[in-house]
Parts: sequence; C-alpha cells; structure tokens
Amino acid sequence: MINFEEELKNFKPSLEVEEAEAAIYNHDLTDVTDIITELIRDMKPGNPF
Amino acid sequence: MICYRCNHEAGNEKTCPICGADLGIFHKIIRLSNMCYNEGLQKAEVRNLSGAIISLKKSLKFNKYNIDARNLLGLIYYEMGETVDALSEWVISKSYQQDNNVAGRYLDELRQNRAQLDSINQTIKKYNQALLYCHQDSRDLAIIQLKKVLSLNPKLVRGHQLLALLYLQEDKLEMAKKTLRNAGKIDANNTTTLRYLKEVNAKIREKGSQKKKKEDDLLTYQSGNEMIIMPNRFQDSSLGSTLIYLVIGLLVGASVIGFLIVPGVKTNAKKEMNDKLVAANETITNNAQQITMLENQVKDLEEELGTLQGQSEALPEQTASYEALLSGYVAYVGNDIITAGMNLEDVDATQLSDSAKSLYETIWAEISEGYYEQLYSSGYSSYGAGNYTDAIDKLLRVVEYDPDYKDGNATYYLAQSYNRNADMDSARQYYQYIVDNYPGTEKAMTARNYLNEE
Repeated sequence: MINFEEELKNFKPSLEVEEAEAAIYNHDLTDVTDIITELIRDMKPGNPF
Repeated sequence: MICYRCNHEAGNEKTCPICGADLGIFHKIIRLSNMCYNEGLQKAEVRNLSGAIISLKKSLKFNKYNIDARNLLGLIYYEMGETVDALSEWVISKSYQQDNNVAGRYLDELRQNRAQLDSINQTIKKYNQALLYCHQDSRDLAIIQLKKVLSLNPKLVRGHQLLALLYLQEDKLEMAKKTLRNAGKIDANNTTTLRYLKEVNAKIREKGSQKKKKEDDLLTYQSGNEMIIMPNRFQDSSLGSTLIYLVIGLLVGASVIGFLIVPGVKTNAKKEMNDKLVAANETITNNAQQITMLENQVKDLEEELGTLQGQSEALPEQTASYEALLSGYVAYVGNDIITAGMNLEDVDATQLSDSAKSLYETIWAEISEGYYEQLYSSGYSSYGAGNYTDAIDKLLRVVEYDPDYKDGNATYYLAQSYNRNADMDSARQYYQYIVDNYPGTEKAMTARNYLNEE
C-alpha cells in the first residue's frame, strides 16, 4: 500500500537553471582513485608523497 | 592516466615512468569504471534509464575522469527531463577534457537555443510549484500544474510519477495507469514507476471484484482520453441470447411494419387509385363529350354532304336544263321551231334560276302552239312517207302534250305508226284511247278492228 505522504518525501524540488552553477561547484567529485591515493598516503607516514 | 604520486602523465604503463609508482591497482579501477560504463550503456540502449544512471554513477565513482560515462550520464539526465543535472555533468566533463569532447557540442546547442532553455526553466518552476501544492494538500491545483509541466516537458519522468501519485490518491486509477505508462515509455524499469503501477493494478483488481458484487455492475475502462463507463451486463452476449434478440427484433420490426407502415402504404395506394380513377373518369367524360361533339359534326357534315351530293346530283340535270334552254333559244332565234320546242321540252324549269326560267317561259309561250302544230304536221308527213320511227317520235310528243290534239288524230296516227312499225303492244293503248274517246268514228272502228285482231 502506497503512502502518499511518505512517497511525497521522495520527490525533491528540481534545480533551476540559475542554481546549476552552485550545484556544479558543490558536486562531490571524489572517486575511488582519490580514496586509494589518500589511503596510500595515510599508510606510509614517512612517505614524502 | 595521471600518476597519483608525481602527477605526471603515465599513459597505460603499470609503473610510472617518472617516479616508478605502482599503478596496477589504478588500472584495475579504471577497468572497473569502464565495465560499469558498458553496463550503463547497455541499460540505456534498452531504455532502462534509471538502471543506466546507477551504473554510470558507479563508473564515475570508480573514475571521475571517465568522460564517456559522464557525457552519457548527462544525456540520460537530459532525456529524463532533468536538464540542470545534465548541464552539470556536461560542464564537469568539459572542464576535465576541453578538446574533442561531445559535451561541448551539447552545451553549445543548449546555449544557442535560449527559448528552449527558458521553457525548461519554466517547467522546473512549475514542477516545484506543483510539489508545493502537494505539500499544501491542494491536490487539484497540483494536478493542473503538473499537466502544464508535462505538456511543456513530456519527458519529465518525475512529473509523470508525481501526477500518478496524485491520481492514486484521488482514486483515479485509470488516469494514474495512463500517466505511469507514459513514464514507462521514457524509463522502462524505473522502480518508482513499477511500484506505482503495481499499486494501481492491485487497486483496479480490487475494485473490479467489488464491482461484480454490486447490482449496478458497471465496467469502466480508458479509451484514449475518455473514460468509458458501461453496464457490464451488455457484455453478456452469448450466441443463444444474440439469436433471441435477433428474433425479438425481427418480430418487433414486423409488427411495426404491419401496424404502422402497411396501413399507411395501403391508404396511400387507395388514395392514389382513387385519384387515378377520378382522373380516368374525367378523361372518359371529356372523351364522351368530345365524341358527342364530333358525332354532331359528322352529322352536320353528312347533312351537308347530302345536300352537296344532292346538289351535285342535280348538277347534271341542271346543266342539262340550261343546255337545253340554250339550244332551244338558239333554235328559236334560228326560227327552227321544232328544234327549239324539242329542246325546251327537255328543260326542267325547277333547275333554272329565276331569270333563266323567265326566259324559258317567254320562249315557250311564244312557240308552244306553233311547235305542236309543226310537230304534228311533220309527224303526219313522216307517217305518210313510211318513216314510222320519226312519226312516232314527233306524234308521241304531241300526244303527251295533248292526246286529243286534232280531235285525236295525233293519237290515232301514233297508234298507226306503232302498228305499222310492228309494235302492237305500244299501239294498243292508243287504239284503246281512240275507241274509248271517239266512239262511232271511222278511226275508232279501225282501232277496234286492230284490237280485235289480237
């Protein structure tokens, strides 16, 4: 049974064109390679990289 | 690829040619990213846009520099009506790769078509307004607004889904089904769409079973933009009932024809017959009148013909009389009394005109006495000369004029001429006349003797 109110919560307002710039800037562009690079850096503290 | 350690271009080498860093794992990540991209591409090809988005996001999570995946993701967003998300992906893609990037073309096309961009912006605003109406429980306004949005941007899957949700809430199941189908055409395996569709179908089935229990027994279905509601009982049309309906229909039709149409036709036919009869009678009457008139004309013509025929028959006699008169007149002028008298004897005074008759009478009065005198003399001379035929001719004229002419001598010599001409039969009557009228005379004795000799 579909609950109207619950389902309505899933619908978020769309970004307007003027808000596109902000959305792009706030876009999380971290990918796995960034994570692994971070991990490698963290794994070797004495590593100059 | 870029080396994580020294940030130099390492190409496809497993170790960085500059710093020697092990790049094997990064190559694996890139391969995973590409695998996810392929998966997303396959899903996009079969219109499973939601699934494609998940795969492509995964691909970009592995490798944000996967330009193809990002461009495709933007394209999918654009197809689903999420234009701003599409723009974002393309801008990011362009920033990662300036040259030889199809995202640049997409952005240029959008930038050049300003009107389209404004229209897209309007639809986004209206959609957000519709969403606000939903939160404010103004579902009717939300539906109206969403219809406008979808008319401007028919590929906005979220719009279709929200509208379907509203229809579901309003219990307009068929319309919800229709709009979900439209959403399904854009994004085939969208989870939300499928969930809503499942709910709609379940409700329809539930209502269908409930409707069967009702006495109304109505059947509702969507035909295009129209909602068709009809009594279900009309669906029950087995062959037997169809035949019965046919028979009933035929009987009703026959009754209608027999009671309504046939009398009318008969009446019309009778009226027509009567009219024709009247017309025929009129014709007969007219014809009879004409016949009578023609008969009268014929009668008149026959009378006239008879008159004319009489006249024509009398013409020869009339002509003969005139000719005789003329001949007689010529003879009279020539002092030929006998010829004039003979001609005038042939004249029928009744045939003559008044003037001709007057002439005839004048001449006759003048010559008649002398004519018979000369005629007797000539006849007697002919008798004496033995020319009995001529004597008979002349003496007969005299006798016819006056049997007692010259004391019966004309009659006596006429008888004698007949006798001498071997025509005793003709002589007898004249002999008898002499015997009867002049008894005791010599000619009477002679006549008796001739009579007794028979």
